[in-house]
Amino acid sequence: MKYAVEMREVSKRFPSVLANDRVSLCVKSGTIHAIIGENGAGKTTLMNVLYGLYEPDHGEILIKGTPVSFHSAMDAIRQGIGMVHQHFMLISRLSIADNIVLGAEPGRGLRYDRRQAEEGVLKVCQSYGIALDPRALVQDISLGMQQRVEIVKTLYRGADIIILDEPTAVLTPQEIDDLGRVLKGLKDRGKTILIITHKLEEVMDFSDEITVLRAGRHVVTLRKEDTSIPELTAYMVGREVHLGGCKASVDNSQVMLELNHVSCHPEGRQALQDISLTLHSGEILGIAGIDGSGQTELTELVAGVLPCQEGQVTFLGQDITSSSVSKRKAGGIGFIAQDRHRHGLILDFSVEENLLLGMQRRDAFISRRFLRNNSQIRSMAETRIRDYDIRPPLRASQAATLSGGNQQKIIIAREMGAEPALIVADQPTRGVDVGAIEFIHNTLVEHRNRGGGVLLASLELDEVMMLSDRIAVMYSGRLIGILDARTATREQIGLMMVGRRPEEVGV
Amino acid sequence: MKGTPGSARNPHLRETAVDIAVPFLLLLFSFLFSSIWILMMGKNPLAAYAALLDGAFGSSTAFVNTIKKSIPIAFASFSIIVSMKGNTFNIGAEGQLALGAMGATLAGALIPGLPPLLHIPVCLWAGALFGMAYIAFPTVMHVRRGVDLLVILLLLNNVANYILQYFVLDLFKSDNALVPSSRSILGSAELPYLIGPPHRMTIAILFVLVSAVVLQWYFSKTVAGYEMRAVGLNREAARYAGIPVRRYTGLALFTSGALAGIGGALEVLGNYHCLYTDFSPGFGYDGIPVALLCGSNPILAVIGSIAFGALRNGSLTMQARVGISNEIISVVQGSLILSVASNYIVRYLLNRKKGKEKVHA
Repeated sequence: MKYAVEMREVSKRFPSVLANDRVSLCVKSGTIHAIIGENGAGKTTLMNVLYGLYEPDHGEILIKGTPVSFHSAMDAIRQGIGMVHQHFMLISRLSIADNIVLGAEPGRGLRYDRRQAEEGVLKVCQSYGIALDPRALVQDISLGMQQRVEIVKTLYRGADIIILDEPTAVLTPQEIDDLGRVLKGLKDRGKTILIITHKLEEVMDFSDEITVLRAGRHVVTLRKEDTSIPELTAYMVGREVHLGGCKASVDNSQVMLELNHVSCHPEGRQALQDISLTLHSGEILGIAGIDGSGQTELTELVAGVLPCQEGQVTFLGQDITSSSVSKRKAGGIGFIAQDRHRHGLILDFSVEENLLLGMQRRDAFISRRFLRNNSQIRSMAETRIRDYDIRPPLRASQAATLSGGNQQKIIIAREMGAEPALIVADQPTRGVDVGAIEFIHNTLVEHRNRGGGVLLASLELDEVMMLSDRIAVMYSGRLIGILDARTATREQIGLMMVGRRPEEVGV
Repeated sequence: MKGTPGSARNPHLRETAVDIAVPFLLLLFSFLFSSIWILMMGKNPLAAYAALLDGAFGSSTAFVNTIKKSIPIAFASFSIIVSMKGNTFNIGAEGQLALGAMGATLAGALIPGLPPLLHIPVCLWAGALFGMAYIAFPTVMHVRRGVDLLVILLLLNNVANYILQYFVLDLFKSDNALVPSSRSILGSAELPYLIGPPHRMTIAILFVLVSAVVLQWYFSKTVAGYEMRAVGLNREAARYAGIPVRRYTGLALFTSGALAGIGGALEVLGNYHCLYTDFSPGFGYDGIPVALLCGSNPILAVIGSIAFGALRNGSLTMQARVGISNEIISVVQGSLILSVASNYIVRYLLNRKKGKEKVHA
């Protein structure tokens, strides 16, 4: 069989790191080929080499059997290679058609023929079965749609080989399914597709063949039929990965948190409706539900960020219904918010300053009543960076420069380091690689094993089922029911997530 | 991906170098741009700038005058920097400056029998209080009701100008002066000289230096300064961390008003010893580009203020010697403000290689 892309012994060195070390890659024509690996494994670098953005230090590239040498992306585009970047490069105020033809506008002289552009775009869309309205403005369409615009852009330029960098990172589950259909449609019409990802479920869904990279090296290339998620995970991380932590039996008789008929309606929107639940020490209470069912609001309400309008919240026997965030923090509630860039971190602050956030008023970090105690803060930061393996291990580097997984580790180090009784975590593993997920799971379960409480909201049902002792299912701001995690089935939870009562699903 | 070439070799050093280079490049650009206009007037821009430089720094008198002009600009820039640290923007420094000057004039003229060691601080406090009082209404409206500060503060600048005219021409007017002015402050409220006549440089510059150091210390060393910076950089994350965000916004705005008020007070106590309707040629507005150019660093803002003071001071010599209107300085300042607004582009050009790889990485 003929290869669409052959990369032989490609190396690329940056001043501080060897990003690709003699990587070889063969992609069969008309297949979907996934390139997987942890953050920093060299996936994106390898694809940027293929797309002509970097010139390799060593090695050769063959496209459809012919050796090529790219000096810029233009050279790659001429050879029929297209790339869709993780962050879309669209102009939001222009129409879809305008964006697609940009750089290759039809027309004569200075005149731009918009109608011809729209027709051309429509023709491409129709021949690949992709639904797009060429006249819609990019600012009005969803991220999934924008991604389709990027794909059509490569097709419009005659791409046969399409590279997608982390295509699902920003998509909803529904949009991910749509993307899968679009990619299969392209494959059926003879296109070759390379996707970079670290999400293994999608890999098993989309691809025909899988190449694993680790620390800049090629580890293995497998056919999908011949492998499994655990095997791929082990190849990626370089060892067996065990998600879900290791639960020990603990005494969970003491009630830690109690919500009594709690309702919350920020800006008139009924976010939480009459919720009552209890959480015990030594227990992980998972919250399942489809996106936007009130899980985030529930966690925010317990953390004190969102005011509680009706009902009562009790923590370790004390009424905290109207306590401030700082009081709750001091009282032993840690919060891992869902949106780490908006709520969890101050990106312009250093790692050290972020590790201090929320604890700056603790006695240990204050000297002479109003000054920061820099030596204490420094030693705290260094301990946390070491204990939580934050990389790079430099307390002065700006938080914005760290990878998503390491940014999340800063938050977890900070919240766990404050030694709270209760950890409230809203999607703590969102967008981080599998090594970091394992670490976060272990941290949460260890906290439970020590007798702490965990309130865990997650959109990943597997994660909720794996970690929780009990599972609360929410639907449209209401609590549908609480199940024992040992006996609950996926089907029961799934039905309750769309609003069926527990009695109806046989609980 | 980690390990892009630009970020690999000490990114901090590179960033710092860019931070320092940018203001100078912007200044250079503004002068080049203004040269076009000077050429169109048929004058030699180099001669004009030589005169400007000479008028600003050419003699000890010139230098002292530049410093004098830079003092209210420095306080205005401190005022704006503090407001920015608290996640707001005090564009009303000009108004608070005028109110502060009035407060100092009243305290200086009406409280007799105090020794200077007491009278001067009392007058400065009066200036600070008047500045704070003037920003109180917008602050409360903003913090409690979420009213937009920009519009209300800009409008209040106009109101302050009319209050100033009423104060100088009617309410507190001097009966025996050649130029319309307010009553003079008592001798005990006049700032002592650091360098006596003919230079007449008062100790006001020391207030500038001390304030810059105190502000820098507050932001970098104190817990409250850390919390205020957190509010300024990411309001939401600060709120999630339990920091009382609204309290800090209010604190920043009141401090901002007080600093602008002290700037106005120092003009009265140190320079004029009374008030004129046009005692400020727009010092409060000059503080804005200074604050922005200096990346809201109070220490750098002192240097920036001296540069802007030099523009104001040297322009007179330029007008006298080369015969071009000192309005050209407004062109320099205007293009400077424009280029501050396009700061991003300059940074992009400086970081182009790095930026290119970042986008693709």
